[in-house]
Amino acid sequence: MSIDRPTKNTDDCMIDIQSVNHQVTPGGQPLQILQDVTLQIQRGQSAAIVGRSGSGKTTLLGLMAGLDVPSSGAIYLDGEQINCLSEDERARLRAARVGFVFQSFQLLPSLTALENVLLPLELAGIDHARQRAVDLLQQVGLASRVNHTPRQLSGGEQQRVAIARAFAVTPRVLFADEPTGNLDSQTGAEITDLLMTLNKQQGTTLVMVTHDDQLAARCDRQFHIDAGRVQTQ
Amino acid sequence: MIKALQQTAIRRDLRLRQVKVMLAAVMIAVATVATINLFAGHLQQTLLQSASSFLAADRQLITRSTQPVAEQWQQAASEMGLKTSEISQFSTMLSAGGAFQLTSVKAVDGDYPLRGEIEWQSGLQAPRQMLQQGPASGEIWLNPRLLGLLDIAIGEQVTIGETELTVSGLLLREPDSSFNFSAFAPRAMMHFVDVAATNVIQPGSRVRHKLLLAGDENLLNDFENTVQPAIDSGDYRWRDARDGDTIGESLNKAENFLLLGGSLAVLLAVVAIAVASREYALQQRDTVALLKTLGLTSSAIRRLYATRLLLWGVLATLAGLLIAVPFAWFLSAMTAQLMAQPLEFSLQIWTLWPALLTALLVLFAFALPPIDRLRKTPAMQVLRSLPQLDKGFLVKDSVVSGLLVFGLLWLFAGELKLVLSLLAGLSVLMVVLLVFGWLFVSSVRSFKGGSTAWRSAIVALHRHKRATLSQLAVFAMTMMLAATLVLVRSSLLADWQAQLPEDAPNHFLVNIAPETVDDVDTFLSSEQLQRSPLYPMVRGRLTAINDQPAKEVALNPDDDELRRELNLTAAASYPDDNKIIAGQWFSEGDNEGLSIEQSLAESLGVTLGDKLGFTAGSDTFSARVTSIRSVQWDNMQPNFYIMFPENGAIKDLPTTYLSSFYLDPVDKSVLNDFILQFPTVSVLEIDHIIERIQDIIQQVTQAVEAILLLILLAALAVMVAVVSATMSERQREGALLRTLGAQQSLLVKATMLEFALIGLVAGILGVLAAEVTVWALQYRMFGGEFRWHWPVLIIMPLLSSILLSLLGRWQLRPVLTVSPMLLLRRLE
Repeated sequence: MSIDRPTKNTDDCMIDIQSVNHQVTPGGQPLQILQDVTLQIQRGQSAAIVGRSGSGKTTLLGLMAGLDVPSSGAIYLDGEQINCLSEDERARLRAARVGFVFQSFQLLPSLTALENVLLPLELAGIDHARQRAVDLLQQVGLASRVNHTPRQLSGGEQQRVAIARAFAVTPRVLFADEPTGNLDSQTGAEITDLLMTLNKQQGTTLVMVTHDDQLAARCDRQFHIDAGRVQTQ
Repeated sequence: MIKALQQTAIRRDLRLRQVKVMLAAVMIAVATVATINLFAGHLQQTLLQSASSFLAADRQLITRSTQPVAEQWQQAASEMGLKTSEISQFSTMLSAGGAFQLTSVKAVDGDYPLRGEIEWQSGLQAPRQMLQQGPASGEIWLNPRLLGLLDIAIGEQVTIGETELTVSGLLLREPDSSFNFSAFAPRAMMHFVDVAATNVIQPGSRVRHKLLLAGDENLLNDFENTVQPAIDSGDYRWRDARDGDTIGESLNKAENFLLLGGSLAVLLAVVAIAVASREYALQQRDTVALLKTLGLTSSAIRRLYATRLLLWGVLATLAGLLIAVPFAWFLSAMTAQLMAQPLEFSLQIWTLWPALLTALLVLFAFALPPIDRLRKTPAMQVLRSLPQLDKGFLVKDSVVSGLLVFGLLWLFAGELKLVLSLLAGLSVLMVVLLVFGWLFVSSVRSFKGGSTAWRSAIVALHRHKRATLSQLAVFAMTMMLAATLVLVRSSLLADWQAQLPEDAPNHFLVNIAPETVDDVDTFLSSEQLQRSPLYPMVRGRLTAINDQPAKEVALNPDDDELRRELNLTAAASYPDDNKIIAGQWFSEGDNEGLSIEQSLAESLGVTLGDKLGFTAGSDTFSARVTSIRSVQWDNMQPNFYIMFPENGAIKDLPTTYLSSFYLDPVDKSVLNDFILQFPTVSVLEIDHIIERIQDIIQQVTQAVEAILLLILLAALAVMVAVVSATMSERQREGALLRTLGAQQSLLVKATMLEFALIGLVAGILGVLAAEVTVWALQYRMFGGEFRWHWPVLIIMPLLSSILLSLLGRWQLRPVLTVSPMLLLRRLE
């Protein structure tokens, strides 16, 4: 199954960022997080955003995903200028086209693995959601743990559930924030493989923030970010 | 839509501590309000029924003129289905042989009394009997004293007006006898139909007609409405069992107390709910951020949480009602047993609406705002912890919820001033608390010496300055409310107890001739009875104020006290419960001046120095007002409007004496001998009234205590809520400290000490505030003076200190029982 929606333009660009500046004022002092960032990521590409702690990687990821809006500049996601949309409009866009994987997994502790995966499916109003969720959990190797709550799962298993959740609605673009950051290298490698495999299978655009050079090297493109400025490699 | 969230999470979140506290608080609030409503209704019913026997009916319609009660009202009452009985009271001469005696006659029909019983004897030595009917036509019952005065025996005839009646028994007590020393003439009771034949009631005769009514409360109210125009026009007076007197007072005080208690329970619950819901909202921030990331709109988030809250609210409300119904039933059963009345507990759904309104208000005014603001959580929160936007209660919320609480309290307490003084007290307390609390946390560092645990506790108090302050505020408020209630309860009970101590005189001797005083004393001491002081009594009219006719210059010329004879007395000291509110009581040797009762002075417009003139028989005399007294009319003790010094104006007038004594109910037969020996002395038996009042007081006391229990539970819920609210932070710290090698015992001691200190300071502040509030409340509601309540002052702070340290210890449990490793992972 796939989700088909008309888009405003039909070029190959999934993410288009034009001269984005972002500044915050924690405690009254203005702090420049991003400076004049311009970059494009094509459909189906995988891109890694790398850089030191505090360089602005996560902020950039959040802006691309429409979790926040930049102080200035324009951001197009899947052809829509998301910095002009309201919060709710951005939420609706995410529900249909965007998936997430987080460093700290971000599963709802009160729901089982299956219910966590069901969440975005039910949000998008997809038929046969339950079967699809079970299939996905099977695909990530958790067929036997569908009714376990996050507390009863190891870190690797939790991240697998999060990946199943992220791919449940066949998103056009998947954002991953340090997906292996909380895992040992062995488990990290398994999770990376899973991400890449599903990404290829579904033709999803993948954008991830990472410290892991090996993981970054497996992506089509790398963006280095330093003190809020981006250098493409 | 999101089934899993709506169904599963609603169920699973119930396990969260904050949710449990929130729902427990809703439950307690609902249970308290519902119990009070259900039980108060029943209590009122039982007490009124019991009090009704003092009227011999549920209501009385009394004529103000000498005309009988109009036919139309009797008809209206019968048509409505009310039970009625007609009685007339008048004074006339009874004669037998050559003897005449002024008698106060009560003529009753066959239905009298509608409530209560008549105490009757077939002869002086016969056993006492309780009857539910008056004398038959052609018969008359006499007060035992009349036998002596008229020198006749049972079975003989007495003449009343133009007819003769047969004495068929002795009237000892009628249910609606007024406790009034001016009812001097001894009582006789005859049948209503015989009155016309006597021909004693002529135009202008002093006669009072009453229509007694009994029946369903609604019907009585309907009838009252029907007859209201006649009452308003001044033709009739309406009397209700709760009017005036000790019983009405006790009932009103108890009801006030229950309502005050209910309001406080709701206030406490509201605090617990606000704290817990804020805590729950904080805990849900990550979830909301994730849901937003997954594409949930803010309106959907609002719907999600509102539904959740509504469902929980319905559950908690139902649970509260499930607690309230059996609890109220139990209380009702207890009171019914105590009053020896059948249990008539009916569950009337409409009486539950205040409880439902409470649930709705506390949920939506206090639980909803922080949870509703969740939808404003930035989605970026999912990627990194962002500064908290939710600062607890915002100004707008505070104003709205403040107004709602105010409305609710007003609704319950029904008295604007009470609510205002309560809220004003709380506001003042908050300000004082902030000042003292700030001083406490700022200065606490200087007590740094001592053990490691002490130092850690002090450091923790200082480090969590804000949390310490808010805990202090909430605990002090809780303590204040709980202490207020405990104090009001004890002063209420003490007040009642003092009013009617166990051995309060329950028999009065009126009309003791000076020459028989010694004989009476000898009789009483031979029976080992202790009499109270003798008061000389002179019956006199107040006729002049400052040498002007009293009826012309009195502020209120229609005052009843100007129309009738007053009991004037002379004494060296005034009764214990009187208070001099202006001027000075007579000094020894004084023979000038008089002391007047406050309300009479106000009604007449008399002040210190005014000269009052009296007429007693053919004597006239006067004296100047030298003091004004307040009098407790409801204490069943001899009380007087006007008192003179022992050697004052009434010294040489012909006088009789009044005294009283306590007689144990089992020794009642002593009275027979007394009456035989002293036929001219009137014995007023008020033991039944006193017993009844004591029963009622005991019953109300139990009700008050049961409600107090509910309220203390609410206070406990608040404490648990607030302690657990700060616990996640503490648990994290504890886990970290354990990882760094701190011993369990140190953690336990430090935490317990920290809470014990907060508890102690909050307890002291709360109790002090309670003292002030109680003083203010008493002043308004219960009438009383300020005094310190040492036991409460000492026990409450200690109790709060111990309770809080135990709560802290209990909340620390997860930190102590699990390995630090696991803890840190859990708390991540």
